[in-house]
Amino acid sequence: MYFLYELERVITLHPSFFGPRVKEYLTNRLLEDVEGTCTGQYYIICVMDAYDISEGRVVPGSAVAEYTVHYRAVVWRPFKGETVDAIVSSVNRMGVFADVGPLPVFVSNHLIPSDIKWDPNATPPQYTDNGDQVIEKGTHLRIKLIGTRSDVGSMFAIGSIKEDFLGTL
Amino acid sequence: MSSADLLNQDFGSESEDDNFNPAPAGDSDNDAAGDSDGELNVTTKVNGTSQRRQPSGQRNAGEEEEDIKEDGIGDADGVGDDEDDEDEEDDDEDEEEAISGRPRKRARRDPRNQFLDVEAEVDEEDDGEEEDEEGETAGFIAETHPDDLGDLPEGANTDDRRHRELDRQRERAQQIDAEQQAQLLREKYGRRTANTADPVTVPKRLLLPSVDDPSIWGVKCKPGKEREVVFAITKRIEERAGTKNPMPLISALERGRTMAGYVYIEARKQADIHSALEGIMNVYPRSQVILIPIKEMPELLRVTKSEQLQPGGYVRIKRGKYAGDLAQIDDVETNGLEASLRIVPRLDYGQNEDANAPMVDGGIKGDAKRKRQGAMGLTNAAVRPPPRLFSDVEAKKKHMKYLQQMSTFDKKHWQYLGDNYINGFLVKDFKIQHLITENVNPSLEEVTRFSAGAEDGTENLDLSALAATLKKSTANENYLPGDTVEVYEGEQQGVTGKAISVRGDIVTIGVTEGELSGQNIEVPIKGLRKRFREGDHVKVIGGSRYRDEVGMVVSIKADQVTLLSDLSMQEITVFSKDLREASDSGVAGGLGRYDIHDLVQLDPATVGCVTKVDRESLRVLDQNGSVRSIMPSQISNKIEKRRNAVATDRRGSEIRTDDTVREIGGEQKQGVILHIYRSFLFLYNREQTDNSGISVVRATNVATVAAKGGRVAQGSSSGPDLNKMNPALMRNGANGNAPMAPPKSFGRDRALGQTVTIRKGPYKGLLGIVKDTTDSEARVELHTKSKTITVPKDTLGFKDPLTGQSIDYTRFSGSRGRGDGGRGGFSGSMGGATPGREPAWSGGRTPLPMAGGRTPAWGAGAASARTPAWSANVSTARTPMWRQDASSTNTNGGSRTPAYMSSTDGSHTVNPYADGSRTVNPYGGNTSYGGAPSGGARTPAWNPTATSSSYSHDPFASSTTINTNPTGSRTPAYEPSYRTPAPSYPTPNATGSASNNRPYDAPTPGKDFATAPTPAAQPSNGYANVGSTPAAMGGAPTPKFSGDAPTPFGGQPETPGWGAGEDTSPRYEEGTPSP
Repeated sequence: MYFLYELERVITLHPSFFGPRVKEYLTNRLLEDVEGTCTGQYYIICVMDAYDISEGRVVPGSAVAEYTVHYRAVVWRPFKGETVDAIVSSVNRMGVFADVGPLPVFVSNHLIPSDIKWDPNATPPQYTDNGDQVIEKGTHLRIKLIGTRSDVGSMFAIGSIKEDFLGTL
Repeated sequence: MSSADLLNQDFGSESEDDNFNPAPAGDSDNDAAGDSDGELNVTTKVNGTSQRRQPSGQRNAGEEEEDIKEDGIGDADGVGDDEDDEDEEDDDEDEEEAISGRPRKRARRDPRNQFLDVEAEVDEEDDGEEEDEEGETAGFIAETHPDDLGDLPEGANTDDRRHRELDRQRERAQQIDAEQQAQLLREKYGRRTANTADPVTVPKRLLLPSVDDPSIWGVKCKPGKEREVVFAITKRIEERAGTKNPMPLISALERGRTMAGYVYIEARKQADIHSALEGIMNVYPRSQVILIPIKEMPELLRVTKSEQLQPGGYVRIKRGKYAGDLAQIDDVETNGLEASLRIVPRLDYGQNEDANAPMVDGGIKGDAKRKRQGAMGLTNAAVRPPPRLFSDVEAKKKHMKYLQQMSTFDKKHWQYLGDNYINGFLVKDFKIQHLITENVNPSLEEVTRFSAGAEDGTENLDLSALAATLKKSTANENYLPGDTVEVYEGEQQGVTGKAISVRGDIVTIGVTEGELSGQNIEVPIKGLRKRFREGDHVKVIGGSRYRDEVGMVVSIKADQVTLLSDLSMQEITVFSKDLREASDSGVAGGLGRYDIHDLVQLDPATVGCVTKVDRESLRVLDQNGSVRSIMPSQISNKIEKRRNAVATDRRGSEIRTDDTVREIGGEQKQGVILHIYRSFLFLYNREQTDNSGISVVRATNVATVAAKGGRVAQGSSSGPDLNKMNPALMRNGANGNAPMAPPKSFGRDRALGQTVTIRKGPYKGLLGIVKDTTDSEARVELHTKSKTITVPKDTLGFKDPLTGQSIDYTRFSGSRGRGDGGRGGFSGSMGGATPGREPAWSGGRTPLPMAGGRTPAWGAGAASARTPAWSANVSTARTPMWRQDASSTNTNGGSRTPAYMSSTDGSHTVNPYADGSRTVNPYGGNTSYGGAPSGGARTPAWNPTATSSSYSHDPFASSTTINTNPTGSRTPAYEPSYRTPAPSYPTPNATGSASNNRPYDAPTPGKDFATAPTPAAQPSNGYANVGSTPAAMGGAPTPKFSGDAPTPFGGQPETPGWGAGEDTSPRYEEGTPSP
């Protein structure tokens, strides 16, 4: 689910950047540092604006200055039970790996309807019900997330397509 | 109620064991007895049979019944013990009489018997009504002629009894069959019996023992011998049955481990116990005998499931040489007392024996000795030999006489010192009480010893047996408050909640769903199971072999949960009781010393990457791509991750850890580099399922996909080489454009002991003395406060020894570098002409210093100019040959070749000159100039080279300006150089007489040397250098002249010159000063 989230970040700046364009530089740094990262809980998709940049404070003992930047960002946090669209990134005997944007999702074969079976002999290998449903690399899937796990700086989820209206698109 | 009843009653034991239920009407006495024998952990029904027999025997006589009746009456009347005792005595008497079949009583009572309704009494005695009935009928048949009894002789009567006994035996045999049938039926229609259990429940209460029943006493015995005692009693009862002196005991039982050290004896009187147990081993009736309260009697018979030892399972041995050792159960004796175990023997094959002992005193003494050793082994674990499989070869060495092959066709069956060894294992019978059967916790290491015995060397572990052992060892299910649980059995079936508290076997749960929601209920643990949902993040605990795996639940079937392991991305299935909810984040790492993805050394030639960490073993992918399962002890060490390890990929680009690479050809494996080991890369790819995503490839087979941090991958395909785009760097690139190497200094750091200023950082401006240095840092003792700080050398300001100016470290040490170069050359020359080259060589090195030296000159002059020159110099100049080259080729490179050197020592010297001249050239007229002097002074060959080179040198040209400058200043330096090589002087002279003088004067050779070489010094020094040491020249000149002069001349000429002028060292000094 997407949220507009207010966050803050402390940016340290080398003295060589002190100058009239420091704000601009800070903003750029913020974008570079933050956009597209994952905190372990959510992904920061896009920084809308940095609405409050504090005054710089020189850190004692070094010349760098610290700026606290408050910014608004669009974040995406996957939830248990959320239904998402994904693109299959790989398929194997155990199940299907798919990517929901930055989030890798695993759909175990326990969570694939029983009529969709693993067919290792197809090229490329795929899950298929011998009808119109074929899951192979690149297939678009609608998945319900049933569990998420967060590591430091990354997330992982497992999903299910074993319900109505889930599966290939 | 008769004693047998006690055993046959169902006291509502918690186990719903049908067998133990009071026998339904149809059940025979025997059945009940047999069953109870089987199940009561320990109960051995001792008197059952005799009792049974007795009454039947007595029934004929009709005595016992009466006695019993009397007893009953007495008890019922609440008569005290005394009375009871009297009765007992009567009983005894009667019994004796009955057994001996004394005619008097028989005669007296028999007639009465006719009028008694015997059946009613029999009822009381046993519930085996049928049997009794039959017995009764038999009795009646036998008894139909009671009147005749008197007529019959006594013997006849006895005979009759014997007949009937025979009959009864047959009946019993028949009944056993019936029992079996009943058993079968019960098995088939087990539920029906359960249904019929209902009517039985009512009488159950009535069946409970009362004061009328015999008492049960607990008698102390030797712990562990309970069962033996019971058997001994049984045996004695059987022996004495039918004798004058039958055992007055009714039954005996033991409670095994739960009440170790006690046997329980059912008897009418305590005195009976004393008399009956007289002379039985290991039981102590004279010590305290405990009367079991009537209320507790049923408890005494409560059945606990005795654990069955299964062949193949594992146990530990409690005592003896093998105390604590793991043993595998080979076989279990049917009596449940002993088990045959397979053990890895601990033998020393007599190695520690005193060799003389058996010889001196014969076998007996030897045996004694051995025994003593054995005894020691018991107490002192350190003495006992390590467990190893039996080796007949070892045994034959010293104990041939004790060794015996047991079977001809099974070559691996030996007898040694009285024990059997099969396939290397000791096979020995142990009493089960000497074994630890619970919480055995075999470790994989121990277990593998048993598996290693396979003949073909393959390890075939009986995992199921292991699992069974492990399962047994884990404490029941343990619930923690907060666990989500579900009741799957009992009245509350289906209720779900969270455990609030756990006390013993009772879990209080707060119901979260359904009608009871919000209430707290208590549920016994056995009807509970943990409940998970798909997607839960769980950790495996408990005895499963997947212990400590963490993963997400993907499916649940009853109590089997399938989860996807976080680490291996494998699906594993475990029981829900072995799971616990884990936090949603973080991957619990490994256990012990090795973690997944660690690089470990397996043997000197093999390394592997850990792909899986089990409880006892690791799975490792080695550099050859093979996967092995090893134990941590097999790992010699862990190789720390080398962050700065570098390899080159197929295209020659540098690759480091954390880069993403793809295999070219092969399986096109792709992944992030975890480890670089020699030419092998261990890659990790999350999407790969085998080996937990780890694979191994050769560095030469991969291409970089993405370098970490956007490091530019170099190489043909990946982006331009920025170095090549820099015109400055490209100058003279043709001659070999290796980037200038950083200056290297040798020997003592010149900075040591210098007074320096600190130019940067918190200590900026302070003055101090350098106490110690490393490559990049210096320890400076401050003048201001007595404190020694560590600062980078770059931030130090040195005082120029000549000018007093503040110079930085590179420059400072640079000058020194020259010196080094010079020295090298110097020494070389000392050695001899040929060696002269060497000097040249070193001189050549000087250039390096020069590089360092660049700072001044370089910066100013032109990096480009020098570099090229430098490089040129370096390459050519350094080679000893260069002289030759020089001759052959005008260019610098040529001139320097050693050939040159070889040409003549003199010439060498000359060369230096030449160089010098060249250098000079820059200064003055150059070509002509250089040529002339050099030519004149030096060997012709020399000249050419010199001239040509100097002239030709681009560097020269380019650097001219610089050179000139330097020259000016350097002149002096120059001179020094000249001096060294006397011959060379000329050249120098040419440059400037004054300078010459200086060199001469200046002279501390050492110094010069030091200084001269470094390019840095160059500009000024350079000259000096050149002049002074050949080597120096090489270095110095180049730089200064930068390109021009330096190369050619440089190095070499000086060297030679040098050599000649060993004294040069003084020059050196001069050199230094000159700058």
